[in-house]
Amino acid sequence: MKVLVTGASGLLGSSVAAALLAEGHAVTTLQRRASGVTGALDVLGSVTDPGLVEQATAGQDAVIHLAAKVAMTGDPAAFEAVNIEGTRTLLAAAQAAGVSRFVHISSPSVAHAGDSLVGEPAGPADPEHARGEYARTKAHGELLALAADSPAFPVLALRPHLMWGPGDTQLTERIIDRARAGRMPILGSGAALVDTLYATNAVDAILAALTAVTRTHGEALVVTNGQPRPIGEFITRLALAGGASAPGLRIPVAPALVAGAAVEKVWELGEHDDEPPLTRFLAEQMSTAHWFDQRRTREVLDWTPRVSIAEGMAALARHYSGT
Amino acid sequence: MKFAAAPAALPGPLPEWDPQWSRLVRADTVDGEHTFHVLDTLPALRAAGREPTGTILALHGNPTWSYLWRHLAAASLRSTTGRTWRVIAPDQLEMGFSDRLAHDALPTTHGPGYRRIAERVTDFDAVVRTLLAEVPATAAATAAATEPATPSPTAGSPAAEAPAGDHPIVTIGHDWGGVLSLTWAARHLDLVDAVISLNTAVHQPEDAPLPAPLQAALAGPMLPTSTVLTDLFLRITLGLGQGPIRKEIKEAFRAPYRTAADRRGIGAFVADIPAQDTHPSRAELEQLGADIAGIDVPALLIWGPKDPVFLERYLRDLRGRLPHADIHRFEKASHLVSEDADVAGLALRWLENRFPAAEAPAADPTHAASGAAAESATAGSPDTQAPGTGAPAAAQSSTDSPLMFDALLARAGDRSIASVDMSQQPPQSVTWAQLAGVVDGIAHGLRDLGLRPGDRVSLLVQPGNNLTAALYAVLRAGGVAVVADAGLGVAGMTRAIKAADPQWIIGQVPGLTLARTAGWPGRRISVSPLNALERTALGVETSITELSRTVPSAPLARPDADDDAAILYTSGSTGPAKGVRYTHARLGALGRKLADHLGVEPGSGLVAGFPPFALLGPGIGATSVTPDMSVTKPRTLTATALADAILTGDCTMVFASPAAYRNVCATAGELSAEQRGACASVELVLSAGAPVPLRLMDALAELFPNAAIHSPYGMTEGLLLTDIDRHGVAAAAAQSRDHGVCVGTPVPGVSLALAPIDAAGRSSSTLLTGAKAVDVLGEFVVSAPHAKAGYDRLWLTDADSKRDELDGRMWHRTNDIGHIDPEGRVWLEGRLQHLLTTADGPLGPGGIEAVVDEVPGVLRSAVVGVGPRGTQAVVIVVEPDAEAPAGARQKPGLADLELTDAVRTAVAGHFAADIAAVLISPTFPTDIRHNSKINRERLAGWADAVLRGEPVGKP
Repeated sequence: MKVLVTGASGLLGSSVAAALLAEGHAVTTLQRRASGVTGALDVLGSVTDPGLVEQATAGQDAVIHLAAKVAMTGDPAAFEAVNIEGTRTLLAAAQAAGVSRFVHISSPSVAHAGDSLVGEPAGPADPEHARGEYARTKAHGELLALAADSPAFPVLALRPHLMWGPGDTQLTERIIDRARAGRMPILGSGAALVDTLYATNAVDAILAALTAVTRTHGEALVVTNGQPRPIGEFITRLALAGGASAPGLRIPVAPALVAGAAVEKVWELGEHDDEPPLTRFLAEQMSTAHWFDQRRTREVLDWTPRVSIAEGMAALARHYSGT
Repeated sequence: MKFAAAPAALPGPLPEWDPQWSRLVRADTVDGEHTFHVLDTLPALRAAGREPTGTILALHGNPTWSYLWRHLAAASLRSTTGRTWRVIAPDQLEMGFSDRLAHDALPTTHGPGYRRIAERVTDFDAVVRTLLAEVPATAAATAAATEPATPSPTAGSPAAEAPAGDHPIVTIGHDWGGVLSLTWAARHLDLVDAVISLNTAVHQPEDAPLPAPLQAALAGPMLPTSTVLTDLFLRITLGLGQGPIRKEIKEAFRAPYRTAADRRGIGAFVADIPAQDTHPSRAELEQLGADIAGIDVPALLIWGPKDPVFLERYLRDLRGRLPHADIHRFEKASHLVSEDADVAGLALRWLENRFPAAEAPAADPTHAASGAAAESATAGSPDTQAPGTGAPAAAQSSTDSPLMFDALLARAGDRSIASVDMSQQPPQSVTWAQLAGVVDGIAHGLRDLGLRPGDRVSLLVQPGNNLTAALYAVLRAGGVAVVADAGLGVAGMTRAIKAADPQWIIGQVPGLTLARTAGWPGRRISVSPLNALERTALGVETSITELSRTVPSAPLARPDADDDAAILYTSGSTGPAKGVRYTHARLGALGRKLADHLGVEPGSGLVAGFPPFALLGPGIGATSVTPDMSVTKPRTLTATALADAILTGDCTMVFASPAAYRNVCATAGELSAEQRGACASVELVLSAGAPVPLRLMDALAELFPNAAIHSPYGMTEGLLLTDIDRHGVAAAAAQSRDHGVCVGTPVPGVSLALAPIDAAGRSSSTLLTGAKAVDVLGEFVVSAPHAKAGYDRLWLTDADSKRDELDGRMWHRTNDIGHIDPEGRVWLEGRLQHLLTTADGPLGPGGIEAVVDEVPGVLRSAVVGVGPRGTQAVVIVVEPDAEAPAGARQKPGLADLELTDAVRTAVAGHFAADIAAVLISPTFPTDIRHNSKINRERLAGWADAVLRGEPVGKP
């Protein structure tokens, strides 16, 4: 099968591309930087460039769309350009090119407004109530993708939740870095249950979706390890695996929410290229439960996570200790 | 104030209401035609291509309307098994969306122009006849029976004379709709096949004050203000829900009562309550009371005891008029019973039982006497009925079988010690002869005082000689002993005693004081004689001491084996304590079973370290010694107190709870050489109340080196079901294939079956036995001659527990889950209501707990599920033991990584289940009685909040 993977410069995208190659598929990638995946044909550029997208999708059997602008804050127009318009452009090009499988990578944040999620199924994407520009624009993007679904152009949307693992810079690296600097707080009791997803399992799930989309399509699935853990335990184990000591900093929830909101505001006013240290959204994420009903996901994908959290933590520790 | 007439109307869109149910029906009443708004499910049924095979006539009270019956309508339409029931529920005239008549003035108690009871009954008659005429099966019945519509107290013709073909007609009513529907039914027994009433009142006794909320509403000038001019009465009623009623539901109840003019009917209704002798409706009320007593068709009374208006005395009055009625009390429900509890489910279930669909040809259900219907049919009418009809167990209950008190009476000449109570200072002891004499005296005394066979006697006496004497005397006199122990707590006892509604209370001063202040029913008798002042203050008539001196006159009748003998209570660790009925036959069978199983011989002595066990001594012919301990706190039993008790009674048997044994082992160092010797002479150590871990059994074996250490399994509903000894527990612990708590094999006479549990966590209706039941997760179902006769005034609970028909026996659903191993041993894995349903299937908590309890640092554990059923996350709550670090012991919340890892590793060795979190609770909430049953609901609720990220607090 000929597969286009967008956003293959990140950990997940490049891992998916490599896994596809290992299974004998022909892989084209589309992103601004080289994917670094040996054997893949890199098309360098943005999904916001229609000509380039048309070129990349030509002759493909399947598309896995991971490219997105991911950040806590930033200019709304920049999010919209990639996450909404880029998705729209890609969908149109893929349909025109006769692509017959489309796997859209989304986020659980598209469907909720920041309150606690306890064993929830994947609700419909809701741009109106999604928190922050990323979630809002990803929600729009997912709606576009699912709206394009048809028997001739089957679409599945996957929403991986809190992916981590060796090589992950988004979550794993940041928590470990902060923990090493003694700046990683545990909010409140640290007991709120969160679902996470070990990177290898995420790759497996996406490959499973490429097969499943021909059977079941037109819906969104949250993908997790199905092993909710108290957020405090998860962060502590990540820190320990990364060679840092267990976070000793504990912040009560209410002040953290206020502080998060304040920092967010200040950040928006100034000129900052990096992420604000704490946002209200992040504070909520770290102090309320976020875990999901995985029954539908596993049924549709015919997939179960291969690596447990305990095994993943052990692999992470080996990664950081260089053994 | 004048009111213009206003026509009936259809309600607008309302929550939980299908517009298809609303009909406007013209009916010819005493003062001409009026239009009634009626909830009628016939159009919905016919739209679905169904034709009713039964009709429920429902009548609301004040100030509600037919919206009250929406759940019944919906549930009956949803039901696809059994009969197809049509629900007809009119809004009374001037109520709900029915016609409003013109009036010149506000309603008053004596004023003219508004509907009174008599007219309301005939209004109901007019509407339902009009509607019954629409269905051929009911049209014929009504046509044939139009003549005798005039009220007559003698109209109580047997139902069998005019069965409605195979189309039963049943009434149900609530509040004043209850008494009105009963009245209509009583006057049309030719039409009616069964009656159901929710909280209502037939009779207002002259000597009892009106309930406070009504007094306020009726207070002359207040009446129009509270009921018509404002919506106060309406709002108060809607505020009576146990849980708050949702805003949109309250709005729907208020919909027809928006303005003062709309509310005229509410005031009229209140004004028609015949509170005084001079009231125009007084005579009618007296008449209908007599009529209702003539109802001889099946009856079901559904009661919400938290109702501040329709108090217990009204239920007592109804029970008196309808002694054959089945009763179900929703202990947590208030006035709007059907908003607080699943009344629709109960009513339909009862009807299914009473009027099984076509395959049962019996036209007269009261005489259907085979199979489950008969079993369940007798279940809930505890005052009169004989239980267990058709069960093999009943075969044993012939009148000549020994009763519980026979062993005692047989030893009336024996001057050896029968019972010693060392919790008294100085210790109190009685001989068999003394005890038999005292029991005989009290029994005759009670009879002479007016106690009649079947009267219920609440025993508010601490375990000890006094309670033993009182209990056997009550049994001897044919009374029913109500044993609500202090282990239920004051609130639990109050609930239990109000539900049992005893005619008599025998109590010590603390119990009598509670009875007085909490308003418990019953004529009062003290234990010791009281002075005149105390007697008056507590309303006490006499004392047990005085009664014991009664010189026997006429011989006492021997109670029938199938008469009720006792009501015992469940511990209430899973909801309100339930009353469990035992007949004389079943109590006698229990005594014989225990005597056999324990190997009691003449001269055997037992230490009742679980004080209620002292009661059994005279029944099984063993001397009983109660050690010096707090009766309500099992863990106050010390090794020295236990040893002294052994010495005193030369006892060879010891009974206590695990909590008591823990303290005994912890204080064993204080024993003297003589006391240690006494312990060495014990032959049997028995634990009651909860299973005993091997560690504790081993510790006991050190203390009692020559004793067999047994841990029987049972419950209030079947006190002795299986048994296991220490070697059995050790053998079970040594193998790794099974998990849970092994409670051994069934004792002889107990039949055991298993109801498998499905993925959704429900236990199957099909029972497995023998090889098919091995290694299947299921609910244990038992049958034994010494098990319960039934639950008291809990028709639905009783019918549920007896729903199995295997081998034509009477079974009991235990709610305990687990599995049976290939050797036939029973492994408990928790309670059905504590079952977890994970994405990988159902999971009994007990298996994992047994593994976690062995992890160092863990005293005990509770496995609870958080999250939606079917995808619950597994959480382990741990109570740390003394070896755990102090920090871990004191602070509730997440366990540290070390303990978490230890627990996860231990579990992973045996189970595939993923453990989401390990939490610490420094002490577990437990029941009062045993101090050992973990309150898992509370732990689960706490774990759920903590794991949502809410403040940790305490469980």
